[in-house]
Amino acid sequence: MSGGEVVIEAEGVVTRFGSQTVHDGLSLQVRRGELVALIGGSGSGKSVLLREILGLQRPTAGTVRLLGTDMWNAPDHELAATRKRFGMMFQEGALFSSLDVAGNVATPLREHTDTPEALLPRLVNLRLALAGLSADVGAKMPAQLSGGMKKRAALARALALEPEVLFLDEPTSGLDPITARAFDALLDFLNRDLGLTVLMVTHDLDTLLSIARRIVVLGRGTVLADGSAAEVMAVDDPWIKSYFASRHTVQHASDPGSPAPRDGA
Amino acid sequence: MAEGQRSCWTESHDGHVVLHLAGRWSLAGLRPLQADLQQAVQGAPAALDGAALQHIDTAAALLLLDTLAAAGADLAALPLRGFDARHERIVEVVRHRFAETAVAAPKPPLRWLGSLGKAASALGELLMGHVEFFGRTLFEIGRVIVKPRLLRVHELFAQLGQVGVTAIPVVALVTFLIGVVMAYMLGLQAEKYGANIFVVDGVALGMTREFSPLIVATIMAGRSGAAFTAQLGTMKLTEEIDAIRTLGLDAAQVLVVPRVLALVLTLPLLVFVGDVAGLLGSMMMANATLDITPQVFMNRLQVALAPRHYVIGLGKAPVFALFIAIIGCRMGLSVSRDTRSIGIHTTSTVVQGIVAVILLDAIFAVIFQELDL
Repeated sequence: MSGGEVVIEAEGVVTRFGSQTVHDGLSLQVRRGELVALIGGSGSGKSVLLREILGLQRPTAGTVRLLGTDMWNAPDHELAATRKRFGMMFQEGALFSSLDVAGNVATPLREHTDTPEALLPRLVNLRLALAGLSADVGAKMPAQLSGGMKKRAALARALALEPEVLFLDEPTSGLDPITARAFDALLDFLNRDLGLTVLMVTHDLDTLLSIARRIVVLGRGTVLADGSAAEVMAVDDPWIKSYFASRHTVQHASDPGSPAPRDGA
Repeated sequence: MAEGQRSCWTESHDGHVVLHLAGRWSLAGLRPLQADLQQAVQGAPAALDGAALQHIDTAAALLLLDTLAAAGADLAALPLRGFDARHERIVEVVRHRFAETAVAAPKPPLRWLGSLGKAASALGELLMGHVEFFGRTLFEIGRVIVKPRLLRVHELFAQLGQVGVTAIPVVALVTFLIGVVMAYMLGLQAEKYGANIFVVDGVALGMTREFSPLIVATIMAGRSGAAFTAQLGTMKLTEEIDAIRTLGLDAAQVLVVPRVLALVLTLPLLVFVGDVAGLLGSMMMANATLDITPQVFMNRLQVALAPRHYVIGLGKAPVFALFIAIIGCRMGLSVSRDTRSIGIHTTSTVVQGIVAVILLDAIFAVIFQELDL
């Protein structure tokens, strides 16, 4: 994987909100075909970094390049061309509430491609199928969907234009563990079988340990650790230690040996 | 090399037709691909050859399989030859899901009679809901009167400020301008007969009895009615109203009663502001264009404006207010859990509020006519 071309590149990114420094000269590279998870404590600037890469929020200093385009200095036509080459899944889905699910998925296709009208419904259904939704969900309005279905519908929309890079903000937050693991499998499939480069912000330890081939830990304004799960866990940093230890804490709590307040009563 | 231009062509190998794919097959070029496919595919091919393929994405693969299926090919049994591993995987992914992409026949749209019936039943349901909510709110207000301790004084005063005090400038400005226009238009006619002084009669009666209540109520339907819907609708969306209920509080007492009372109490006061501002506008206009000095205007006002006109104007205000506030609150509380419906309900509140005000005004006009007031 390390031989692939660099598709996401952040260099010397500095972000300040007033007197608060979120990123202090942060640099990060993601190569084509990687599946990278971005983790870090609250306020470490994961989502901010994602928004800066997407061109939604301007960093105080530093450059961000996505698919070779400098997202903050490129001319508008170049940005417009790049925007068609990546997909983003927002945390709450951000589905257009006035359109049904099929309309949501069809919007980027109608706006940016010359898809034959006869093929469009089929293509929408293929996107839904790739995101793990059946075709009849297409007729539903976003307000009628459960949390997990909303995320899948948002994923289907993000996949509409055959993106080369897929960004996800907390794809499994708020999902039950079964749905969350199914979502992990879906991302794994998109990465392996369709060759999508995936960059996601996540807090889900199961996602990290099962599908993330590379974990980048943000903290103190910079990258604290970068590598496979095993490599990151080996890094001697108090935050990383307690982060991965939180999983064990939960397991201890459900040990038969530990006191269970209700059972004995 | 004729094939080099085309994205696909067929070749016959010992009686078997093989469809060859070449070049870049991507979403961006679906139309030319479709044209090439329609030209090349005459009947179902026995196999696909992707040796010359440089790129294929899922959309193009779907177009390919869709065209082949339409030509009668058995997709499940169609062999793939010479494909790059990556390309083959993508075609397989789409082939695996091809059945799921089948498009269901769309529901036939309602004919005009069906749409009319649906709209009528929706309107009936809306009005029934209003009646029910109206009764419930009056009951809650009755409870407050019997047990004043129930009243949320803090919320009431907050609403009085938002609904009343901050509305004074816009109410005064609009009614002032209406007063100016009325005096001017009446003056144009009255001057012809040398009856300038009767402009004061017309303005006094029209402003206090009809225009000020109607215009102030219309402004408040747009301003406060819409605000109530948007506030309560957002609270519904963010589950604040559910939180109020689960904390054992009464949403009607906490949210609805203070808003309704605030509007019912303030609208007459705002109508009074409108009366004064409107007459002031007329007085200035009369002074400027009709040679009626403010002294003469005030003297004539004393004679011309019978108290009952003024009282009728003020008396209509709380009734308007009750309807505006109840429509605003009900529409807010009936917002469904999506952002779009807040916009729809807010628009609907303004329309309903204005229609209700004008309808009530017409009913009042008939009643007062019959009572000879």
